[in-house]
Amino acid sequence: MATIADELIERRGHAASATRRRTNFVIFLGPAIVLTVLFFIVPVIIDIAVSFTDLGRSLRITAFTTEQYEKVFRTDRRLTQVIGLTFVYVFGTLAIFNVTFGLILAITTTSIRNVSGSFFRGVWLLPRMSPSVLYILLWLWAVSPTEAGLVNQILMQAFGLDAPLDLLTSAPIALIIISNGFIGASMGMIIFTAAIRGIPEQLFYAAAVDGAGTFATIRFITLPALRWPISFVTIYQTLSLLVSFEYILLLTKGGPFYDTTVYALYVYRRAFESGQYGYGAALALFLIVIGMVVALIGWRFFDMERLLQRPRIEVH
Amino acid sequence: MIQWKIAPAALLSATLAAGTAVFLAATPLLAQETVKLELWSRQDPSGPLRAGNVVKAAERLNKELEAEGSPKRVEVVVRESPAKGFDDDALQLLKVFGIGEGPDMFIAAHEWICAFQEDGFVLKLDDYIAKYPQHFGTIFPSLWSSAKCPDGTYAIPQDAEARMFFYNKKLLREAGYDDAFIDSMPERTLSGDLTMDEVLDIAKQVVEKTKAQYGVLHRPNKGPDYIMAFNAYGNDFVDPKTGNLLLERDKLAAAFGWFERGVKEGVIPANNTAMEFDALRKEFYTGNAAFWMYGIWDLGSVAFPTYGLPQDEQAFFKDWGWVAGPAAEKGGSPVSLTHPIVYVIAADTKEPELAVRLLGHASAADLNTDHAVTTTHLGIKPEQLEDPRYAEAWPLARATELLKITKFLPNNAQFGELNGIIYAGIQGVEAGRLSAQDAADFVIEEASSGLEDVIVK
Repeated sequence: MATIADELIERRGHAASATRRRTNFVIFLGPAIVLTVLFFIVPVIIDIAVSFTDLGRSLRITAFTTEQYEKVFRTDRRLTQVIGLTFVYVFGTLAIFNVTFGLILAITTTSIRNVSGSFFRGVWLLPRMSPSVLYILLWLWAVSPTEAGLVNQILMQAFGLDAPLDLLTSAPIALIIISNGFIGASMGMIIFTAAIRGIPEQLFYAAAVDGAGTFATIRFITLPALRWPISFVTIYQTLSLLVSFEYILLLTKGGPFYDTTVYALYVYRRAFESGQYGYGAALALFLIVIGMVVALIGWRFFDMERLLQRPRIEVH
Repeated sequence: MIQWKIAPAALLSATLAAGTAVFLAATPLLAQETVKLELWSRQDPSGPLRAGNVVKAAERLNKELEAEGSPKRVEVVVRESPAKGFDDDALQLLKVFGIGEGPDMFIAAHEWICAFQEDGFVLKLDDYIAKYPQHFGTIFPSLWSSAKCPDGTYAIPQDAEARMFFYNKKLLREAGYDDAFIDSMPERTLSGDLTMDEVLDIAKQVVEKTKAQYGVLHRPNKGPDYIMAFNAYGNDFVDPKTGNLLLERDKLAAAFGWFERGVKEGVIPANNTAMEFDALRKEFYTGNAAFWMYGIWDLGSVAFPTYGLPQDEQAFFKDWGWVAGPAAEKGGSPVSLTHPIVYVIAADTKEPELAVRLLGHASAADLNTDHAVTTTHLGIKPEQLEDPRYAEAWPLARATELLKITKFLPNNAQFGELNGIIYAGIQGVEAGRLSAQDAADFVIEEASSGLEDVIVK
């Protein structure tokens, strides 16, 4: 009898703990799951559904069709150029600004006095804090093709340039990389700064005692400690650059011609400027696929799985 | 006992009588029904009275309804859209109709109505127009053709205008042209003697010999004006037999060639399409450009009020002028383009009759003249020509001369999209990304892959 009673108590205990686990699951993970499903999974399903329709400018579906995919693969001759440009834009912004320049900013501002370092970091955070429209208005004024533009004022008055430059027409790709990079660099800067601050100071002292110079210290102490943040910033910013286009839209409207129409902006132009929503959805689906592939490649390339593993030794 | 019986009966009768009287007196008030008609209108400083006249027309219609003894009264609710141009506005409105939130009436550029008609969003008006000759009988017959789709009339013309190349005579004089040459330009254009290329030559002289920076400027967004240049090179964009879109490679390349030459000669700025509308106007009206390809309403909307160009006819023509779109070759046909704005009624409005009558009153000669003279648009009825205010507005009378050679944009449901592709082609040519031939190929490729039933020659 006693054994049966014990068994019952034990079972009840198991049942109670299973219920508690389920309740905890619903309470703690439920909201996140609902949000993920609503804002990430449902839109993808809707996008896939729309891409198989002829949804046009009056938002009406009259037929289910694979016509949009035929267009993507057969008739759209702009697409190759758009994908090439997107690669240049994402890789350029990432390599020059979001990672490299962010790293330089973090290293330089942590190696000077704290007050000065904070000041310069604050300055580089300004573009991120400004509303995007205001930020781009300043850029438009800076690169205005007239003598009143800031860049032209400097070039003409300080360097004796004869006629004003029209950078929006002559160097639009460089402009979108620089304008996005000035904003993107600050994120890397903050994350790298935090990571550098997390490096135990005795390592730097030890390196100094061993006679390491500045570059050797960066090479052998700072950079190895930044592997995880660099991997994270690279993957995160790649995905972010792939899908964002608001600064480009505001600065160049994707032009001149299609010169600065990156993939995400191309989807927008097709869907919202021409009213080809079905086609836009098909194009957007490829953006989702590209994003997933890039994320997976980054995951493998940077060995994120190992970086995310629990530490084998618990540190107290 | 008798008294007891009479008193309640009398009381009851009196109560009934009083009740009936109150009911009868209140009946007209209770039965009066306010019909709210929603009007979708783009916020457009170049034509605020397009919507304003409909609001005023409601007063007239309500008086008429009262006189007829009708219990209905109309109230107009204006729903303003912030779209930058009529193309963006039409695309937005198509979506609004698509989700079943469309207005009862809307104001649109005429070339878009068949896009709405194709999806069954707009009301066919032929019977109503015949029923109300007092409102619609005298509207210029030529304007009605801009309101038609293949199977009937779907809109009411609201205004018309003329498009031209404005020019700055002072700059031409500075560049060495004498007054006889300058003043003869409009006449030479109309006779087909002045060509599109000569405009570029004159503009080049101005850029080379004066301080003016630009030769020819045009709008920096999708719209109708530059289509005039395509018309000059023989592009009509519609196959007269089938009504389908028609693209002719050589004619397209010839028209793009004009823009290409303009940029190569340093006359059209390579970044024209990247400039702001207001900045372009400023360049022309402050004497930094020889020609401005635009339309007559710009005088009343911007040139006179903002840049202080002389409003007196003689003073204006002393330093400023305009020519129609010149012919492509000597002896060819000059062109002008009118782009009527129209009133349209939704197919699902609950009160189509009232909407038609309301827009009929909004099309009254006096109200339309208010719009015409304040914004320099051409009227829609011959009786407006007799209005002294109209006669005093000399730009209207002078621009009316161009109606002899004017063309419309095609009323094809896909023309709005084709125009977007043409505009992208101009951008490509001016920015140096496409040659004229490439641009023609680009337009044909894009249109063939994105639009239906395009005929390519």
